[in-house]
Amino acid sequence: MLTKGHFRKIVDKLVLLKDTSELMIDLAYSSLLLNSRELAEEVQALEERMDNLHTEFELLVLSSGFKPKESKDFLGLIRLGVVTEEIADAAMEIADVVLRGLEPHPILRRVIEEAEETVTRVRVSNASPLVGKNLREAQIQEETGMWVLVIRRGEEWLRPRSDTIIKAGDILIASGYAAGEEDFEELTSGVRAPTAEES
Amino acid sequence: MTEPEKIEYKPISVREALTEMKDLSEIMIDLAYSAALFHSRELAEEVLELEKRVDYLAYMLDMNAMLAARDAEDAESLIGATTVAAATNKISDAAADIATIVLKEIGIHPIVRQVFEKVEEQLARAQVKPTSIFINKKLGELELAAKIGVDIIAIRRQKDWIIDPGEDETVLEGDVLIARGAPLGIDELKGLAEGKIKEME
Repeated sequence: MLTKGHFRKIVDKLVLLKDTSELMIDLAYSSLLLNSRELAEEVQALEERMDNLHTEFELLVLSSGFKPKESKDFLGLIRLGVVTEEIADAAMEIADVVLRGLEPHPILRRVIEEAEETVTRVRVSNASPLVGKNLREAQIQEETGMWVLVIRRGEEWLRPRSDTIIKAGDILIASGYAAGEEDFEELTSGVRAPTAEES
Repeated sequence: MTEPEKIEYKPISVREALTEMKDLSEIMIDLAYSAALFHSRELAEEVLELEKRVDYLAYMLDMNAMLAARDAEDAESLIGATTVAAATNKISDAAADIATIVLKEIGIHPIVRQVFEKVEEQLARAQVKPTSIFINKKLGELELAAKIGVDIIAIRRQKDWIIDPGEDETVLEGDVLIARGAPLGIDELKGLAEGKIKEME
């Protein structure tokens, strides 16, 4: 019998696997674009975390005591877990190009810059209206169309949550459409207040 | 089992091939998860079609990269591009694996729906009702990505699928939009498509 608690654990673990694998892809492309070892190393650290998460997930699924007729559904779950792992491995291969110190070919940079989505990295200045707000209040996506992928605070990497409070000096790595990049830079530098506050 | 297509060399730019591979691989992941979430065999089949395209591009890219290298230095500078291309191909394979789960009816456990309610970027389906402001507008005019942070990844129009629709695509009444975005934007998109919200900021 699958208890409620067990069910919730499986859901949470799969959410984490999916989000982490996609974050890794974004970070891997960013590492390439910015030629950043730091970001590539972050992908590497996440890859190690993924391996553990994936094992924990599989053990949870296998120990859920399903009935024979449910086994197909549970196989589907196991396969989805494998897919997130494959995606994470692909991200690692991309980050590896940076870690090996291969000179990033102009082709690669242009591909990432030209792709529909762009990645940008900014430091939050003291003057930014974002300082002290949590991500929900900050309304970055509503204002600029860019969404924050990851926050670097000192040595720490934070996954953005709606209740994460933005501090001056935070480095935000965000992805979105090239059109929103300028608005995003203005918002984080504080050169111009967001329109919602002007009106 | 269908015979794979014979590959013939065509001169294309490595950059163009890689850009297309990157864009396709990303959209395929979203489409494949959508197929799982909405139990759509048709969408899963679209993913497998795209997978063939990515495979084709991978061959073209490799052949063109081989011809572009005249010496060791060129080879060193191109290996990064071919490695990244191989990784995008792997991502598209992963998407095809999800599509296969749907097509083989291995089973999509109810847990999956719960998972998709919790992830940061959500997938949604919205039908365009007669009173929607979307009708007869081009995607480029609507600027959904910039205004509400939502991406239209596919449109189902009667029996046809339009995958990764371009800016010139006009939204018609009855279209089913498959979209990706943050939860707030997704809610707004549904309201707009159903005609319950009449304007965007």
